[in-house]
Amino acid sequence: MKNSTLVFRSLGILIFLAGLAHLFSFGVDTSDDSPTPTTETSTATEQQPEAEVPTEKPTANSAYNPETDPLIGQWKVAYNTKDFKGAIVYKIKKEGKVFNAYTHQYQDENGYAQKAEGTKTLTITQFNGSKGKGIYSIEYEGEQYEVDCKIALTDENTFTLSYDYYGYGDVETWKRQ
Amino acid sequence: MIDFLAKKLEWLDVHHWFYIFNDLSLFYIIIPFFVLELIRYAYLKRLDKDLVLDSIANVITFGGFFLIEIILGILAITKVYYWVYNNISLPHLELNWATVICCVLLADFAYYWEHRTMHRIGIGWATHTVHHSSPHFNMSVAYRFGPLDAIMPIVFSLPIVMLGFDPILVLLSEVFVQVFQTLLHTEIIGKLTKPIEFIFNTPSHHRVHHGSNRQYWDKNYAGILIIWDRMLGTFEPEKEKVIYGISQPINSVNPIVVFFHGISRFVKKLGQIKGFSNKLLAFVKPPDWMPKQ
Repeated sequence: MKNSTLVFRSLGILIFLAGLAHLFSFGVDTSDDSPTPTTETSTATEQQPEAEVPTEKPTANSAYNPETDPLIGQWKVAYNTKDFKGAIVYKIKKEGKVFNAYTHQYQDENGYAQKAEGTKTLTITQFNGSKGKGIYSIEYEGEQYEVDCKIALTDENTFTLSYDYYGYGDVETWKRQ
Repeated sequence: MIDFLAKKLEWLDVHHWFYIFNDLSLFYIIIPFFVLELIRYAYLKRLDKDLVLDSIANVITFGGFFLIEIILGILAITKVYYWVYNNISLPHLELNWATVICCVLLADFAYYWEHRTMHRIGIGWATHTVHHSSPHFNMSVAYRFGPLDAIMPIVFSLPIVMLGFDPILVLLSEVFVQVFQTLLHTEIIGKLTKPIEFIFNTPSHHRVHHGSNRQYWDKNYAGILIIWDRMLGTFEPEKEKVIYGISQPINSVNPIVVFFHGISRFVKKLGQIKGFSNKLLAFVKPPDWMPKQ
């Protein structure tokens, strides 16, 4: 068999198999990983009285675009782990084309707060207004790991962040402050 | 069907299934099958000292290979694979049935090319000849490895990582292909039904691969699917009775001799070749290549 035939057949097999995998990863939308469809989000928004919308939502910022940048602002995440019981407030900023979350404040289980050092913990690389992907920094047994994560907006004041790092995973609920 | 294939999987479940196939198969299929083979050898009055010592040598070579594999594997996975995965790969793929199946098929295809390369370049054959040097054919032969056998799989699986597959999934898929290969090293199973023989690599096809009969040289490189050989022109069916081993037998069951004979023969060959560039060429040229003097 000619070498060129070998090359073309092999490339064909590679492209076919890799293409299928990418198609099923990015081309097929499964509903089980999107807890709240966009339509429900808008219903929730409509039902919520205007007065109940948190005042700290950064609408005052002229650069804020409510259609595309609903993540900007302060978000609180409650933790109840062996290492940490309490909550962390993160500040999400839009930097270039990505959203970065920085630690802003630590709150212990008794409600005492302490200013955080502003460590970048989460980078949301893709966000379509309701779902997105990013890289989350987690600490496990003293080691820092950068893991792929997914976020899904439940309503305009809540989103879930989920990750699964070789079986070590979690789903966190981020509430707007 | 599409929803099933695209359904997101949990790492714990994937690990669990690979653990059953890759790790536990040694206990529920490979060892019992080898015992069955020993009983068959005894029944056929072929169970002699040479066969027993040969089998022990096989397992000892696996120990040497495994040590090198562990060191290289840890280095490759933690450093090279993840560097490639994080810096020069396509968008990272989700963990779903489709990506797991595609990854296993790609690992199988990579195995075909890696295996073919091991046969067709000097340094590859210097290490892989160990696997082929046994005059017997049973499950213990599957564990007969050469000292550098762990290197090629790393090189050939890197493109799969570059395609966006998770390095751990790639590693698990490679081991899965190896475990499937192990099951093919037997004389007990004859030819299977035609559709299976057409699509899958079978003991019959793999006996051919281990044949020292001239028409069987460099044939049937497949891991799981024999269709790769059919598509790429290296398929040969089992017709003539297979004579196992290599064209220059080592006639030894000493594990050290078995493990290093390919490398020592290659070093001897390099000593006979004149000129630095020719010596370098001997690494990548076919095993029987010698420069024109």
